[in-house]
Amino acid sequence: MSKKYILGVFNDEDSLVEAFEKVKAKGILPVEVYTPYPVHEILEGMGKKTRITHAAFFYGLFAAIGILGFLYYAAVIDWPLHYGGKPFNSFPSFIVVTIVATILAVTLLTLFTFSVRAKIFPGKKAEIFHHRATDDKFVMVIDKDGLGEFAGEVDSIIKEHGEIE
Amino acid sequence: MYKTEVRGKLINGDKSFASISREITAPINDKTPLWWYFAFLISLGMFGFGLYAKYITVTKGIGTWGVNNTIAWGWAIINFVWWIGIGHAGTAFSIFLLILRQKWRTAINRAAEAMTVVAVFCASLFPLLHMGRPWLFFYIFPYPNTRGPLWVNFNSPLFWDFVAISAYLLISASFWYFGMVPDFATIRDTTKSKIKKAVYGFFSFGWTGSSKEWLRFEGLSFVLGGIAAVLVVSVHSIVSTDFAVSVEPGWHTTIFPPYFVVGAIFSGFAMVLTLVVLMRVLYKLNDFVTDSHIDAVCRILIFISLIMGTAYMTEIFMAWYSGSEYEMYTFFRNRIFGQYAFQFWAMFISNAIIPQLFWFKAVRKKMWMVFIISIIINIGMWYERFNIVITSLSRDYLPANWATYSPTWVEVGFFVGTLGMFIAGVLLFFRFIPIIAISEIKSVAKFNKPRRDHLKHAGHE
Repeated sequence: MSKKYILGVFNDEDSLVEAFEKVKAKGILPVEVYTPYPVHEILEGMGKKTRITHAAFFYGLFAAIGILGFLYYAAVIDWPLHYGGKPFNSFPSFIVVTIVATILAVTLLTLFTFSVRAKIFPGKKAEIFHHRATDDKFVMVIDKDGLGEFAGEVDSIIKEHGEIE
Repeated sequence: MYKTEVRGKLINGDKSFASISREITAPINDKTPLWWYFAFLISLGMFGFGLYAKYITVTKGIGTWGVNNTIAWGWAIINFVWWIGIGHAGTAFSIFLLILRQKWRTAINRAAEAMTVVAVFCASLFPLLHMGRPWLFFYIFPYPNTRGPLWVNFNSPLFWDFVAISAYLLISASFWYFGMVPDFATIRDTTKSKIKKAVYGFFSFGWTGSSKEWLRFEGLSFVLGGIAAVLVVSVHSIVSTDFAVSVEPGWHTTIFPPYFVVGAIFSGFAMVLTLVVLMRVLYKLNDFVTDSHIDAVCRILIFISLIMGTAYMTEIFMAWYSGSEYEMYTFFRNRIFGQYAFQFWAMFISNAIIPQLFWFKAVRKKMWMVFIISIIINIGMWYERFNIVITSLSRDYLPANWATYSPTWVEVGFFVGTLGMFIAGVLLFFRFIPIIAISEIKSVAKFNKPRRDHLKHAGHE
């Protein structure tokens, strides 16, 4: 692994973020950063955006319409039944089931989306760069090929705040 | 990282990230203590007794229970509502404190959510067995069937209840599980045992802690947190409509949904307190679950207890102010001074009066007192459900229908069985799952180190 990549290993969040910002200032974006907990400066700095919240909104929208549609179909069109003289289309009482079932649909579909997009699923083998990244180390992975003339400078930035492995 | 200087430290002791991982996973990696086996054996015994009671119920029928035509909802519904109420706190705890950005939740939310999953599972058994022929329970699904297709009644609170409980069980379990994935990865990477590495490696779904994973993980928590908040409020409101929609004196009131939701959170927080105090003592987690955590939960309980007291007084006032003789009879002749006065006063004193002891700092500081009061609240909330279910049914409009109710040993056995299941579930949780969210607690760990200019990052947490 270390042939192609440089691993900058840091002991705490602050040293990681400082080194990360200095490396970024040189115009080099690390391939990936591994941390034991989410670090917001890194998540923003890596430049990726997640649209999972937008996806969830549309799941909710379509689920709500779908469920209300199903209730209307079952209770009004397919087999209308009188329940104590109430109207077939008892819209206010349909809302209850719609809310709860929509929440269920949003949860399951968002989880599934997360699983697919973040590639977190049962049976997946973890690609571990540094086995302490989930414990107490903050690891920055940099591609050696993309360094060009900055190779020496990046080395010294990492050494200033952490270690190279 | 946790950077405000207004609040004190959330974790005591000078801990490194590695020692946080080690101390929290200690119950998983160390030798299992003797008390664990002892407690597990007892809970399995209780569970076995419950299984026998369920066997009797299924083979002989509901006739083995103490319920009758008048009081058709006895023990089963009392315990169903009680367990669901306890189950509510886990999600309420995580979600509301997440939304309110209360960082101290990180030490407790995992235990609270574990409690939720087990309690909701216990709760769902009661309506299932109460159906009489539980093997036909799938009739309640709205599926295309050969009977028409005859759809279920979408206006019935019992159907709403079914949807709500099954959704709640699935959602709380998946919310809990996905919170644990990064911690399973930590165990996978720190444990020395090969078997644990393989097992936790499987359950960690290949988590590595990369920025891509964390980014989407945060998005996921945001979505699930946001919608589960709605769920917490709606599920127990739906449970309350089982009562409020029927035309029974004492049930047919508009106060029921908020009253049930608050009551559920009250009993759940009390159960969280019971569990956390035990966890602290048994696994010596005082550095993570600090005195100020217990203090905070106690203060919340004072507040909720005041709401409960207000709700009780409101019900009584409305019974008089409405001028309905049936309401008057139910509340004054039946509950406060009647045949079920003991249950009423047990409820009132344990829920509205005894928790007021938490106003005193001396009480909040003594763990054995906190523990006892949390148990009293749990018992009080059980009596509240007894009070609601039994008194209203026992004396309704027609004196010819009046009846009394007492449970048989089969019903009691069923309840004891769910208690055993709950204890066994919690013990398994203590033994095999990190009882505190490791990655979350790391993000709030404060270290005595020179910090960067934090004004620059004041907008971040």
